[in-house]
Amino acid sequence: MALQNLVTQIQALSGSAEDLHQLHSILKAADEPLHADPPRLSSLLDQLEPARHSLGYLYILEAFSSVSVPKEQANAMVLTIVRFINGCDGQQTRLAPDKFVTICRRLKDQVLLLEAPLRGVYPMLSALRKFPMSSEHLTSLHPEFLLLCLLSKSYKIGLSILDNDIYEVDQPRDLFLYCYYGGMICIGQKHFQKALELLRNVITAPMNAINPIVVEAYKKYILVSLIRNGQFSASLPKYASSAAQRSLKTFCQPYVELANTYGNGKVKELEAYVQANTEKFESDNNLGLAKQVLSSMYKRSIQRLILTYLTLSLQDIADAVQLKTLKEAEIHILQMIQDGEIFASINQKDGMVSFLEDPEQYKSNDMIEHIDSSIQRMMALWKKLASMDEVMSYDPQYLGKVGRERQKFDMDDFDAVPQKFTA
Amino acid sequence: MASSSSGLTFKLHPLVIVNISDHYTRLKSQPNPPLAPHCSSSDGSSSATASSSAVPAPRVYGCVIGVQRGRTVEIFNSFELLFDPVTHILDRNFLEKKQELYKKVFPNFYVLGWYSTGSDAEESDMHIHKALMDINESPVYVLLNPLINPAQKDLPITIFESEMHVIDGVPQLIFVRASYTIETVEAERISVDHVAHLKPSDGGSAATQLAAHLTGMHSAIKMLNSRVRVLHHYLVAMQKGEIPCDNSLLRQVSSLLRRLPVIESGKFQDDFLMEYNDTLLITYLAMLTNCSSTMNDLVDKFNTAYDRVSRRGGRAAFI
Repeated sequence: MALQNLVTQIQALSGSAEDLHQLHSILKAADEPLHADPPRLSSLLDQLEPARHSLGYLYILEAFSSVSVPKEQANAMVLTIVRFINGCDGQQTRLAPDKFVTICRRLKDQVLLLEAPLRGVYPMLSALRKFPMSSEHLTSLHPEFLLLCLLSKSYKIGLSILDNDIYEVDQPRDLFLYCYYGGMICIGQKHFQKALELLRNVITAPMNAINPIVVEAYKKYILVSLIRNGQFSASLPKYASSAAQRSLKTFCQPYVELANTYGNGKVKELEAYVQANTEKFESDNNLGLAKQVLSSMYKRSIQRLILTYLTLSLQDIADAVQLKTLKEAEIHILQMIQDGEIFASINQKDGMVSFLEDPEQYKSNDMIEHIDSSIQRMMALWKKLASMDEVMSYDPQYLGKVGRERQKFDMDDFDAVPQKFTA
Repeated sequence: MASSSSGLTFKLHPLVIVNISDHYTRLKSQPNPPLAPHCSSSDGSSSATASSSAVPAPRVYGCVIGVQRGRTVEIFNSFELLFDPVTHILDRNFLEKKQELYKKVFPNFYVLGWYSTGSDAEESDMHIHKALMDINESPVYVLLNPLINPAQKDLPITIFESEMHVIDGVPQLIFVRASYTIETVEAERISVDHVAHLKPSDGGSAATQLAAHLTGMHSAIKMLNSRVRVLHHYLVAMQKGEIPCDNSLLRQVSSLLRRLPVIESGKFQDDFLMEYNDTLLITYLAMLTNCSSTMNDLVDKFNTAYDRVSRRGGRAAFI
């Protein structure tokens, strides 16, 4: 029958690149009949190997999984898909990227159905290693993977993927989701700096109209920026799109007011405000973050003390920061020393805290290597930026707008800038 | 193509070179380049950008003018000419008009010849050459090779003269190469210097003084390193016994070593590392500033191109 022929063809043509092209066109033609009768396909799958016949396996697997399966068979489905992903050949699957993405999405749905997101994490990780062209390419798989990491609370695995710099994106929605989930993972691991960067990417991404992802990201961005930096600037950087600049603030009103109250520096007011708006924070799943904002208030106050005093007693610190007991003050200061946010030493006998200078003298060999590697990174980044700048200069939309603008500027310097660049 | 035996010395001014290359670049970057005369015409403007890579580069034509004093021919300036691909001759009317205009400003300058672009002189060029012979009985042909060859060290410019040679019993006019020198006036030197320093290319020669100084130091240190390595290799071989022990050489090496400055104290190390790190930090700062400036430009360009609402501030008309 036709399907058996297909299998033999797959086995025959899975060799070199030209064969693969031929196979690809055959498979595209055979897509319809494959979808017609999914359950029979499992027998076909057993005859093929995922490693050598990745393309054919992919097509058949996609047709096989297109029908919704009941919960009992979900397990078997997951196992098949996982075996395929672990064994497949990245080059072959890149010929049919949308099918691969569909399969991975189905995997995600099935593991969610089984309520075991952890099972999906490792297969997705190996898929991510094999599938994209290079580590700088963002595909639709990345946000799915991060979602699974979030749901299964395996943040460290997600972090390893987040370290890659991204220079190319498949679809804008991928970027939004990726940076948003990435931000949440970093918040979970308490890497607030990286979370800030990722969330800022979401807010300042070019867009024509606001979407809900951006609004949620902005709320988290305000909270994280308060926790990390102790301040929040209400104006968006100039590379944010105009749509964002106009409408974001109206959607996130309670958070902006929270930032204003924080700026006043009074803990009691802040506490009262958080208490009052608990349901709002709760509904956005941001209540935990809001509580962290509260505790970071104390840190800010202590850091302000460092600027004025060289030594201070624990009692005075507790009074200045409006903490209730000495013990709490000590705990806070110990935590901050451990995190490296301040340099101090506590004299246990008389309860005096002396604030020290940063002991880093920048005299060591490690510092040389550190700076050297930063310089190298900066040079590579500059080359990429310069090439992007050049590409932008040729862009016809840019040239058109610049040509139009120039004419309005100088009347006496009018040197007939052409409107359109034709001979 | 034999070399010239006419004994004329040619002096070329940089202005001519810049003019020719500018003409060529302008024509090449237009979306509908006029095709070279010996190609068949391809489809029109809609596929111009696609076809321009397949079509051979357009040729430009023009006239060179200058002064001839005795045996020295000095080419000062040039202007462009229209080439009629149908009749294969240059536009005479235009040439004469331009000649008159230039005469008014530079009464000394005569039409000395013509220029074009390409990799080598061709037979069809001889027609143009002969046509110009009624203005100047021995015109020169300046040829610029627009293909950039990074291995080539000298200018891709050749000057051809015409000579009557007897080939197979038939007296024929052929092109012969002539040597030339570049002559610069102070004003030209300043402008060429300026253009050269404008954009140091990646991997190009050091265009700034600091880079030149550092490159010199780098090559000096590299040479020192290789010499020391040779010595080291020799000494190791001597130690292993592969080479007979030469005591006089050993004495020389030890005296050299004793002459080296030896400061090994901890304080020196500290100060040295601190200064080293300071320099590195300054380089880092410079790179950061560079990156920020490029990023700023990029963001501005992006905003002008794609942001719907254009920025209102600062667009008042300057009167």
